[in-house]
Amino acid sequence: MESFTSLVDTVRDRLYRLALRMVGDDGEAQDVVQEVLISSWQRQEEIVQLDNPPAWMMRMTHNRAIDRLRSRKARTNYERAAAVPDRTQLTPHRLVESEDTLGHIHRQIARLSPEQQSVLQLREVEGLSYREISEATGLSLDQVKVYLHRGRKQLRQLLLQERIVEP
Amino acid sequence: MNHQRVTELIERYFDGTTTLKEEADLKAYFLREDIDPALEVYAPLFRYWVRESEVRAPQRIRKARPRRLPQLLLALAAALALLLVARTVHRWENPKVTTFPVAERQPVDWSRHEITDEKEAMRFLHGVLKSTSKRITQAPEITLHELREVERMLD
Repeated sequence: MESFTSLVDTVRDRLYRLALRMVGDDGEAQDVVQEVLISSWQRQEEIVQLDNPPAWMMRMTHNRAIDRLRSRKARTNYERAAAVPDRTQLTPHRLVESEDTLGHIHRQIARLSPEQQSVLQLREVEGLSYREISEATGLSLDQVKVYLHRGRKQLRQLLLQERIVEP
Repeated sequence: MNHQRVTELIERYFDGTTTLKEEADLKAYFLREDIDPALEVYAPLFRYWVRESEVRAPQRIRKARPRRLPQLLLALAAALALLLVARTVHRWENPKVTTFPVAERQPVDWSRHEITDEKEAMRFLHGVLKSTSKRITQAPEITLHELREVERMLD
């Protein structure tokens, strides 16, 4: 019981960040994590026996977030939320002036596929190894590497083309 | 880290060949104030990742645990419902015998009124016969009384 409580304490923020990244909405992210935690509490004896319990919980979060995106046809909302304002008006100069540079990066990342976002999140924010990301997402090691490479490449293009530099 | 090293790491980072340690070094570098101007373009991205890693779960999630009380209440409610069903079935199979069965439309359990003691039976029979005899005696008196009343009305 005690070990499970500590496990939840260590993984809770990571689950929330992953869910938030994927569903793009705070309320829904909270619901996803809540569901995962409650389900985990009910299976705690089973979970603590696993080789990598955090990866298992991350995977549950990842899968539930994907389910949500599918069931609520969230892609539409999510793309709408991620839509960049009229890009013809955003000259590099204006972007430099913008205080929302990080927000702009955020919106660009939100335009990537959920799997790509998930891989980027787990590597860049959570600092997981390729193997851990593979366990957490159910993707193969090669897929993880490809998604990460493509994601970074797209972000680099964004940075170089639009010359986003913080004021 | 010098400019050359960072440039090399940046290239490998976007190729996806850096290690976790090297990526941590890059983040640390881009959090510094003295970034090489040529590399400044990448700073927002690394700052963004650092900022994202500082996001914390809201309080609501911190308290997320299965609620034991509702489960207990549900169990109690289920037990009560079971008791009610059992009671109803029991009543249906063993109807209640009341003091006023006809008025209450309840079936009469005649076995309750059966006299098993011989002396009691004799006393009961005696009482019934005496009551019958008395009413038989009264009948002509009542009839005569009624006839007189009729005659009086006719006069």
